Amino acid sequence: MTCRTTPLLPLLCLALAACGKPPDLVVYVSLDQVFSEEVIRDFEQETGLHVRAEYDTEASKTVGLVRRLIEERESPRCDVFWNNEVAQTVRLAELGLLSPYDSPSAADIPERFRDPQRRWTGFAARARCLIVNTDLVPPEQTPRGMDDLFDPRWKGRCGIARPLTGTTLTHAVALYDVLGEERAEAFWSRIAAGQSDETPQVNVVGSNGQLMRLVASGTLAFGFTDTDDFNVALEKGAPVKRVFPDQEGEDPLGTLLIPTTVAVLKGAPHRPAAERFVDWILSKEIERRLAFSRSAQIPVRDDVPRPEGVVLPAKLMDVSYVSIGMQMEARTKHLTELFLRAR
Amino acid sequence: MSRTLLLAALACLALACLAPIGVMGLRLAARPEVLPDILDPRTLGLLMRTLRLGLGAAGIAILLGAPFGWLVSRTDVPLASLWRPLGLVAFILPSLLLAVTWTVLVDLRGAPMTTAVMGLGTFPIVALFTAKAAARIDARREEAALLAGGLPAVLRMELPLLLPAILCGACFSFLFAINDFAVPDYVSSVGRKFNVYADEIFATWQVDNQDARAVATALPLIALTLLALLPTLWLRRRGSLATVDSDFRRPAPLRLGRGRWPALLFCLLLVSLGAFVPIGRLLWEAGGGTTGEGWSPAHLSGAFSQAIELTHANLLASILYSAAAATLAAAVAVVLGHAIARGRWTVLLEPLVLLSLAVPAILFGIGNISLWNHTWSRAFYSGPGLVIVMLLGRYLAFPTLIDAGATTAIDPRIEEAAALAGAGPIRRLFSIDVPSMGPAIAGGWVLVFVLAMRELDAAILVPAANRMAMFKLYNMVHFGRDDFVAALALLIVFVTVVPGVLWTLLLGRRLEVMP
Repeated sequence: MTCRTTPLLPLLCLALAACGKPPDLVVYVSLDQVFSEEVIRDFEQETGLHVRAEYDTEASKTVGLVRRLIEERESPRCDVFWNNEVAQTVRLAELGLLSPYDSPSAADIPERFRDPQRRWTGFAARARCLIVNTDLVPPEQTPRGMDDLFDPRWKGRCGIARPLTGTTLTHAVALYDVLGEERAEAFWSRIAAGQSDETPQVNVVGSNGQLMRLVASGTLAFGFTDTDDFNVALEKGAPVKRVFPDQEGEDPLGTLLIPTTVAVLKGAPHRPAAERFVDWILSKEIERRLAFSRSAQIPVRDDVPRPEGVVLPAKLMDVSYVSIGMQMEARTKHLTELFLRAR
Repeated sequence: MSRTLLLAALACLALACLAPIGVMGLRLAARPEVLPDILDPRTLGLLMRTLRLGLGAAGIAILLGAPFGWLVSRTDVPLASLWRPLGLVAFILPSLLLAVTWTVLVDLRGAPMTTAVMGLGTFPIVALFTAKAAARIDARREEAALLAGGLPAVLRMELPLLLPAILCGACFSFLFAINDFAVPDYVSSVGRKFNVYADEIFATWQVDNQDARAVATALPLIALTLLALLPTLWLRRRGSLATVDSDFRRPAPLRLGRGRWPALLFCLLLVSLGAFVPIGRLLWEAGGGTTGEGWSPAHLSGAFSQAIELTHANLLASILYSAAAATLAAAVAVVLGHAIARGRWTVLLEPLVLLSLAVPAILFGIGNISLWNHTWSRAFYSGPGLVIVMLLGRYLAFPTLIDAGATTAIDPRIEEAAALAGAGPIRRLFSIDVPSMGPAIAGGWVLVFVLAMRELDAAILVPAANRMAMFKLYNMVHFGRDDFVAALALLIVFVTVVPGVLWTLLLGRRLEVMP
């Protein structure tokens, strides 16, 4: 090879790297990869379509895929967004990134889990729950709700994920919605203020998964997480039990249920394949499979079979997902200022 | 220098490093009124705290790295040739794995533990730079100092000569420490919270219609990083990091006498803290040590088999993308490094090369999306090409500075003689410079490969980077699959060190990684 052609080598490498088989469908998935990739593989086998699935990481929830969808709005390349929660999906709908699709498979899904304009549909939910280490917490002292976080006996031994991403952010915004500005602000401010203490009353950790590991290992006695995280700890044989919070009392607040959501993107390059995927994923069979998977997603339809432990809490928090989604932007900004302070 | 080659290299620099930053800069330029917002007391407080973390980590890196580098390169400490590569493991391991290990073993959290982990994870940079600088001290100087006052006199003579390299390594330690947000977050998950400025940048991107503010938020960190890199450039320009004399004589190892055994203990302790303990913990977890069944070789073998079976495609993707990025970076860096060392544009070119190193990963990733997500570039955007370009852009600065340093060490009169004899610029580059720069080019290649294999922050935003092994590893960590995750982490570490080990074993030469 002559010296004159040498400079072209890097460009040749890049050109080769750019080659690849084009997909029939592009799905962005924030449902955890270990659960969702098997489902998508089955869809490929059943339909013969080549799906490019792109996943989020636990650490980058929200900023990863949602940010990418916003950045790609001028030239969309994603067809379907399969989100592990609902508030960010509502946020995308409000930003005008989603396209209405009334899937026939969703006809029997309760209306509260569906967007009135059919831009998204919820199914296979998770619940916010307390994961309790049974070695550290005697049965009679089992925490029952969010106020137990402030019980002096648990000072420094309970926790919650930082409410800036994922389902904890949804939980935070939901509390503003159901408790009202004053009570919710008092709750989150109290947790945030304690972070400057050598031993905070409530430990604020990086993610729900991290919280689960801290409780499972006995570093913390209990804390808020999601039912899928609890199930992982349970399957690992950790000494833990699940408590659906705020179920007791005269007018209990109830437990927050967060459905998985699926939506077709506006300007989806492969619209027919996208609709086919949404129909398939919203079927009762997939909801059943997700209930029996390690994530133990809770079916939102009553007639979907499920394992014994996968149950809906008796009292659900009475929230409007659309309202939560609409408040996300302002609340995120406020919570960032509350929780990201140099102390 | 050939204009064709230089233009091609500058085009690569512009495309991979500067264009994504430029796109983001345009967003800020459209709304300059957000700039004063970033100077509120809260963000300034975070910035000062981050500055303290960086300085603390750099201080620890100096305290550990400088004596370690000197001992393994210049003295008769037992097993020096073993400690030298093992000392690098702490840097090759993702810093979060170090944090996970040490928070389990030591009951220390918050700022002290974060600073300690970042110092431990970056001390190999200082050690490497110190070792390289120590090996460049002429034997005659050392012999004279020995005759004049023994080992203390040698140390007094060598310290000023080593100091530029030590400070240069500390600058990089500072840079890595202030840009990390995973370690502070993980370490302060229990006890007093330790928020850092990188958290603020990450969180700002979640608020819609705040792009200009999000870019503006990154500016103080960019400025801080560039400030940390300025001393490096200054020292390099002064020639403080280059070979001292042209008729150089390699010095013999210094005899430590009774100090040999404490020195051995120090090396053993440091390698244990940064390599043996974290790797041992991963081996323990991979073998099922944390499960009820207890550790067993069968469990260990099973975890590795499973990790290979489930992630071989991810490992292969990581290797291919990282190797391609490292190869491209090596090619472009030779030309840019030569231009910096010999050209007239050094003052302009050096900061441009360093800019992508100073930009937070998330901003760089979003810049790449804005730049490449168009109908005409869809195949490139979705494919491995963008991952390679993104990795090239992130890390081109390292091999460029290393090659510039290596070019400085080549006598320019040889090139001038070749030019007089009729050799063209491309021929001069490939016949004179490149053969002499072998260890530097290989060192730059290995460094980019290592950093690319560890990359996660920008990769979460680039479509095809989803297939990389680090991405898979972090997703698996969430599910508490300790044995599988530990086996995959060990596989990644193994794959990451292979190129450097092969170079050293097959060619018997050390890699050059000093700018």
